[in-house]
Amino acid sequence: MSDKNEDAKAAAANQKGVIQTDRPKEIEHFGGPIGLDIGTTNIVSARARGASIQITKQLNAFFTVPASKITGMTLLKNDVLYFSQNGSYYIIGNAADTFANTFNTDTRRPVESGLLSAKEDEALNVIQSIIKTLVPPPKNQGELVCYSIPGEPIDTKISVLHHDTILKRTLQDMGYTAIAINEGFAVIMSELAEESYTGIGISMGGGMCNVCFSYLSVPVFSYSIQKGGDYVDTMVGAAVGESATRIKLIKEKELNLLKEPKNKIETSLSIYYEDLLESLILSIQRVITTSESVPRLSKPISVVLSGGTAMPAGVREKFEKLLKANRLPLQFSSVRMAEDPLNTTAKGALQLAIAEEK
Amino acid sequence: MAVPILVFSVDKTRGSLLLKIIENGGFKAKLFDNSHELEYAVRRRRPSIIVFDTKHYQSREFKIITSLHSRFHDAEIILFADPAEIPSFTSAGIKKDCCFSDPINPDDVTLKIREIHFIKNKAFLRIKTYFVFLAGLFAGTRDNPYIMFMKKIIMAAAVASAIAAGIAGGFIFYNMSDLPKVQMLESYVPFESSFLYTSDGVELAEFYLERRKFVSFYKIPKHVKDAFIAVEDAHFYEHHGIDFFRTSAAFINNIRAGNAVQGGSTITQQLAKMLFLTPEKSISRKIKEAAISMQIESRYKKDEILAFYLNQAYFGARSYGIEAAAQTYFGKKTEDLSVAEAAMLAALPKAPSVYSPFKDPKKAFTRRNLALKSMLDRGFIDTEVYAASIRKPVPEYIYRRKYAAPYFVEYIRNIMEQKFGDRLYTAGFKIYTTLDLNLQRKAERAVTNGAAALARAGMPGVEAALIAVDLNTGAIRAMAGGTNYHKSQFNRATQAMRQTGSVFKPIVYLTAFKNGYSPDDTIDDMAVSYLSKDGSEKWTPHNYTNKFYGRVTLRTALSRSLNAATVALANSIGMDKVIATARSIGVTSNIYPHLPSAIGVSEMTLIELTYAYTTFANGKRFEPMGYEKITDRYNIHVEDNAPKGVQAIDPANVSKMRDVLSAVVTEGTSIAAKSLNRPVFGKTGTTDSYKDAWFIGFDDNLTVGVWVGRDENRPIGEGMSGSHAALPIWINFMKEE
Ligand SMILES: Nc1ncnc2c1ncn2[C@@H]1O[C@H](COP(=O)(O)OP(=O)(O)OP(=O)(O)O)[C@@H](O)[C@H]1O
Ligand SMILES: [Mg+2]
Repeated sequence: MSDKNEDAKAAAANQKGVIQTDRPKEIEHFGGPIGLDIGTTNIVSARARGASIQITKQLNAFFTVPASKITGMTLLKNDVLYFSQNGSYYIIGNAADTFANTFNTDTRRPVESGLLSAKEDEALNVIQSIIKTLVPPPKNQGELVCYSIPGEPIDTKISVLHHDTILKRTLQDMGYTAIAINEGFAVIMSELAEESYTGIGISMGGGMCNVCFSYLSVPVFSYSIQKGGDYVDTMVGAAVGESATRIKLIKEKELNLLKEPKNKIETSLSIYYEDLLESLILSIQRVITTSESVPRLSKPISVVLSGGTAMPAGVREKFEKLLKANRLPLQFSSVRMAEDPLNTTAKGALQLAIAEEK
Repeated sequence: MAVPILVFSVDKTRGSLLLKIIENGGFKAKLFDNSHELEYAVRRRRPSIIVFDTKHYQSREFKIITSLHSRFHDAEIILFADPAEIPSFTSAGIKKDCCFSDPINPDDVTLKIREIHFIKNKAFLRIKTYFVFLAGLFAGTRDNPYIMFMKKIIMAAAVASAIAAGIAGGFIFYNMSDLPKVQMLESYVPFESSFLYTSDGVELAEFYLERRKFVSFYKIPKHVKDAFIAVEDAHFYEHHGIDFFRTSAAFINNIRAGNAVQGGSTITQQLAKMLFLTPEKSISRKIKEAAISMQIESRYKKDEILAFYLNQAYFGARSYGIEAAAQTYFGKKTEDLSVAEAAMLAALPKAPSVYSPFKDPKKAFTRRNLALKSMLDRGFIDTEVYAASIRKPVPEYIYRRKYAAPYFVEYIRNIMEQKFGDRLYTAGFKIYTTLDLNLQRKAERAVTNGAAALARAGMPGVEAALIAVDLNTGAIRAMAGGTNYHKSQFNRATQAMRQTGSVFKPIVYLTAFKNGYSPDDTIDDMAVSYLSKDGSEKWTPHNYTNKFYGRVTLRTALSRSLNAATVALANSIGMDKVIATARSIGVTSNIYPHLPSAIGVSEMTLIELTYAYTTFANGKRFEPMGYEKITDRYNIHVEDNAPKGVQAIDPANVSKMRDVLSAVVTEGTSIAAKSLNRPVFGKTGTTDSYKDAWFIGFDDNLTVGVWVGRDENRPIGEGMSGSHAALPIWINFMKEE
């Protein structure tokens, strides 16, 4: 078991382009503002470190095992993050995945469809513990942390207020000044500086897709739809009779929407991706045409896609095609991928925190 | 801004949006979302502009608006309201052209605010200076000899009065003249750039008329402002819009010269000129300018005026405003400019094309240093900074966003400019080209690597070009016009006229085939002397190897590139027929009608030869095709450019051409191309003393032409024949990745 755990850590650390740490003692606090993306799948933090940005992340997941002395020792020895509660050990973050795999089941998640899970009693404890592994206590009282929250879902009555307030309190209790940033707007902050923060930012995550349209850095509208990578996994799984976990693996590893599907899983994946993208575009159309604030623009604007669900080859192209096929009152110059799709939100949050500090 | 703009909206988003739009236009504004605070603010300080958004405002009676309107007469109220409600506002006295409806149009807002700031203020209409009076006197009097005579006398008086008026602090006449109805700031009508895309839709380039970027005055560093003051208007902070001394001096000179030549303009006058007046150069315009200048000075702080000016000035290279200029000349933001760079820019607006460092670096350097000297003299910089700055070089080329395929972009731009004229830069066309970005990258790599290899072998400074054409459609798939676009924009693929050497020969053989020859027919390769037409000169073609080969087949003659045999062949069929063949496959350049042309002394471009070879490949002649379709800004088709091949060689002769051009590769001068392991066809070319090296050839898909040589037309290096210098680049490009 300890081997596997090391592997998982190594694997996480090897993810390209970012500095990965998953043990709290490795996090050196250089001070300065922090950007935090609390997603359905991952929690990502970003900090400026000289000219570059340091990214740290944990899976937003947990796994419980019965508490016992030996287990506790093993976990401690291997630097596995956990806390104990009601006779169980809650293994949190990246390690949860390793454990779930070993026991051949799924991890549990404190966030569902982008919002704090109502199903999990310990959701709050878990999320707070994970945040603490990524965000060390502030050096000075009142340091800035900017955390992402989803836009109001347009397809349900659920509000983000509860989610938002709880996160804010958590961070404030740690001694931070916490400011929220809409996830879609974070994409704009991170990717559209060159276009004077004008354009549409979309984050396609696990639990939801977040959309924001900003003009000269004013978020004119932002919202979310509660469909994302998880939706694709579940629907495809049900359609072909496979576990969602397996579908997720296949999807992340080899999905290419530019190619003709070769088997029923790929066919189904392409169907539900198409469905997801279509819902997304329809929602954009609906919101733009009903918004009272969208200005008339003489220049076409850019669309930026980010988030794990936007990553398969062909998503950008498919999106662009659908966008062109739908008549919208805005003109689009390009649809492009964010530079670092999994970390865009955290980076955008960091940008805002930095701007706010000045 | 001297006087604040107040924005009111109960809708947070719309309020912030309006605020940002106004700020983006270079103005300062304050946002209110409840009427008590607004009320408090207007009581503390008289507003100049109130932007009032009625959306979601609690009371539909809008007493607040009528009240603001009646209490602040000289404040302008800009309204956002439902179209149905607008009449009730206009009848309450709000100006109709200040009422807008959704959607919010940022350009409308910015324009309206500018207009109000510059034009629609009452004091402006009252300022009728003595100058204006004079302007009236001179208007429309050109043909009246009496007035023409009087003019001189009056002019002398005018100068004296002008000085007197200046000393008196601006003698103002009321209601006496008619300043031109100042036109709206046309320059702010947003033009739309045109875009160029690759065949698979990747953006290649943007064609714009002018680069305009606004920068707020607080972001302009002091040394930048100082540089402009030193150069343009040393007394800027002291005078009141017109420097009377300077103006009068200019007047006197103008009278002597008979018309206006010398600029006596202050920064404010120049701003007035840029904003409002047509660029006619006359005395009366100068007077109008002066009036407007005084007006501007009375309303704005010096720093603001300077910022207006810096944002409006033209710096050459299609860059308006200091921010765009900083980008164009240095790839920087205004705030990051050094002293030397600021001085360079300050030197430009007077005559952007004359002092352009891209045109005349020496002149620009001298003028830049003159600007630095003025800064030193006025104490803006110390001797240390001065000494360091005068040594800095001036920029060598326009700092551009680096486009992929720059030569191709320029090539298409030229075609489009001929087609659309200036509309290309304003009408928002989308031009879908035939370029394949992957092939393009390969082409650029092949060309730079080829030149680098030659440099390593002791031959620096050699240029190379490559063009790849889809031989089934005639579409240009890749084009490298040189090794470094930034160093030299001269396109050696389309513009360079060079002697062709043996790459011309296949045209002779095609002519032979058309006249009944076949590749297995034989011909003599031996020393024969030909007389020039007038019989005065004798010419004996020799082979590259300096040997003669006796009786050879046409195939061998071409594959070994034998000069003597080829000239003999051309001689027997006649050069006029060879030239006719060349024309029939698309060669348009001049061909000297005598025998040496058979072995390539006439000059041609790489692109026309590559298209000629495309005709060899499949019998069809194509016009060069660089784009597939063009749409306008509404995505409506403007032009579809379908491939238009014309049968120019019959199939039997096409296969004969393929036969001989394949022999070049399998047994002749280009045997190295065999390494590609697939059938390819082509021909090398080498000119006198190795000045040009060519290889043009094709496989099943592409015709690819490569040229290597020096721009100054000196030898590349000893032994640098087509197969040594050009073929490796060709092979490199044709290699599968
Ligand atoms: N390479 C990939 N290809 C396809 N999907 C991927 C890939 N990598 C990650 N994903 C999917 O992206 C989702 C996670 O993305 P991301 O980390 O951006 O979401 P999140 O921010 O945690 O969630 P949310 O924004 O919904 O709250 C998961 O559904 C995952 O399956
Ligand atoms: Mg996310």
